[in-house]
Amino acid sequence: MKILVCVKQVPDMESRFQVQAGGTAIEEADLAFRVNEYDEFAIEEAVRLKEKLGEGSELTVLSLGPQRVAEAIKKALAMGCDQGIHILDTASRDPYQVASLIYQAVKDQDFEVIFTGMQSQDLGYAQTGLLLAELLGIEAVTTVVSFCQEGDGFLVQRELEGGQRMNLKLQAPALFTCQLGLNQPRYPTLPNIMKAKKKKITQLEAASLAPPAARSQTTSLRPPAKKGQAKFLEGDLGAMADQLVAELKAKSLI
Amino acid sequence: MDFALTEEQRIILEAVKDFARNEVAPFAAQSDQDHALAPSILPQLKELGFLGSYLPQEYGGAGMDFFSYCLLVEELSKACASTGVLVSAHTSLAGDPLARAATKAQKKQYLSLLTQGEKIGCFLLTEPGAGSDAGSIQTRYMDQGDHYEVSGNKIFVTNGGYLGLGILFATQDSKLGHEGISAFILDLRSEGVTLLKNEEKMGIRASYTSAFALEKVKIPKENLLGKEGKGFHLALETLNGGRIGIAAQALGIGQAAFELARDYALERKQFGKALSRFQAIQFKLADMALGLESARLLTYKAAWLKDQKKDYSLASAMAKVKASEVANACAKEALQIFGGYGFTTDYPLERLYRDAKITEIYEGTSEIQRIVMAKEILNPT
Ligand SMILES: Cc1cc2nc3c(=O)[nH]c(=O)nc-3n(C[C@H](O)[C@H](O)[C@H](O)COP(=O)(O)OP(=O)(O)OC[C@H]3O[C@@H](n4cnc5c(N)ncnc54)[C@H](O)[C@@H]3O)c2cc1C
Repeated sequence: MKILVCVKQVPDMESRFQVQAGGTAIEEADLAFRVNEYDEFAIEEAVRLKEKLGEGSELTVLSLGPQRVAEAIKKALAMGCDQGIHILDTASRDPYQVASLIYQAVKDQDFEVIFTGMQSQDLGYAQTGLLLAELLGIEAVTTVVSFCQEGDGFLVQRELEGGQRMNLKLQAPALFTCQLGLNQPRYPTLPNIMKAKKKKITQLEAASLAPPAARSQTTSLRPPAKKGQAKFLEGDLGAMADQLVAELKAKSLI
Repeated sequence: MDFALTEEQRIILEAVKDFARNEVAPFAAQSDQDHALAPSILPQLKELGFLGSYLPQEYGGAGMDFFSYCLLVEELSKACASTGVLVSAHTSLAGDPLARAATKAQKKQYLSLLTQGEKIGCFLLTEPGAGSDAGSIQTRYMDQGDHYEVSGNKIFVTNGGYLGLGILFATQDSKLGHEGISAFILDLRSEGVTLLKNEEKMGIRASYTSAFALEKVKIPKENLLGKEGKGFHLALETLNGGRIGIAAQALGIGQAAFELARDYALERKQFGKALSRFQAIQFKLADMALGLESARLLTYKAAWLKDQKKDYSLASAMAKVKASEVANACAKEALQIFGGYGFTTDYPLERLYRDAKITEIYEGTSEIQRIVMAKEILNPT
């Protein structure tokens, strides 16, 4: 079985963010980057699937972005992917462009199962995986929290609102967007980090993949305006509870 | 000149940081209280290859650079100094001399056990009468034709309680001075080896510090490590590198204290303001950051020199003194910033304060480091 996992490198969410002078992008110079958390669930699930299938299965990790994203690809290789594809791209892209570029890179490769994160931690569009499935003309299942391969099909569970779950059965080829709770991603071992250096990464130029025009544009980006103020209650628990109820009543919230 | 980590070092650092934060830090207080590491820690260190880090791939190590090993020890120690020293003593006091001085056959048999974590490594040099003056050890070995026989006492053996694999130093005749000392590979489960006790300590309490009696211990001839009479030299060389790891441990402890103090100062209010608004507190934090940065530069440079196969004796002594003194200063001032809360066991400050102290003592006290530095400075080659 040919497996693909798509990962995005995002700023470490503990960073101090600043908007660039143009007002439409984040200042990247002093940011630390890491693999999008949801994509780590995707990598882990892909590696587990590969391990379960054993011989004859092949797992490719793909990432799009500037030179720095090679690090994200290498981490995925260290976690157990077999090879990498790096779509080298320095432009800022909307989800349709990203999905289109990935589509161009993988359309002839007959991947039978594709994992992506449910969304990215930085932009949170939750579109890339779905658009890619659409472009490839394959089934997509979102917010997957449980995954099981059986024959050439899959049994999966989706997370719905309010803690509800939904069970689905479907055939390959299919794409799955992975949600928190699906698994506990492994830590890459030191020997595997060192061995990952020898795995192959194919580099493709975004320009050579005929990127389409963007369908949406960022017009401005700014930190949220400070409004209102947090209030800290003090005193013993009972007094704080009374105070809280009084406050909520005063604001007609209860 | 480049101060940036390589891609590989960044990947290693991220993996180690995540592991230390999620799997080690949550157990640090309990491990300290129990005088034993939480049972989940060691199997994971093994699984993740943390016990073979910079040791050669040929013998099951990860073959990464020494610099990355320092990042590993730093991050583990930031979460739990006892875990940091377990890895440090195992790798740089037992694995390193084997990698350097062992024969191929010895490496195949013993180094692989260490890199795979099948045995935990330790270093048996110190004796009741021989600490800083390690050349004066009294543990005797006798050539019995087909084996060596060793008798004596060894104390303060980090990781000793695991009864794994030790690098043992003994003398043929103490009158021969340094030239009488040889090194041996010792299985601590051998007959004649008695674990007398694991010390109760002020800090790094989840790390074993063990005393052994050796009574007519038979050591096979093929377990002589390096040339006979070259043991003291091997011990010094080993400690030279090992103390870079201890500098990294100190950095981790100091960094942990600093970050806690900074966050607390931003949050805690007195006189209607956050503590961070008082200049007295600001200056403490500034000094901590300054100290840590200097210590980090010295430590990383020493590690870099070792990777470059250049002389690092002076650099490692400097790094260890600076980092251990900074760690102690940071722990002290961070506790002060926490006030009374810092003095209680509800917060990690008192543990960091206790853990920091040992870094000024083991693998050569600060006084001894200054002697090493003076020697290097006064004997220009
Ligand atoms: C927790 C712990 C773990 C340890 N782990 C190991 C281990 O794994 N393996 C091992 O072999 N040893 C280990 N040690 C031993 C450690 O390395 C020694 O304790 C250390 O080298 C100091 O020796 P000492 O305690 O005998 O002190 P001493 O040598 O008696 O020194 C006492 C004081 O005198 C000072 N002093 C000594 N000589 C001079 C001098 N010439 N000039 C100026 N001042 C001097 C010292 O700096 C110190 O302040 C460990 C010790 C501890 C506490």
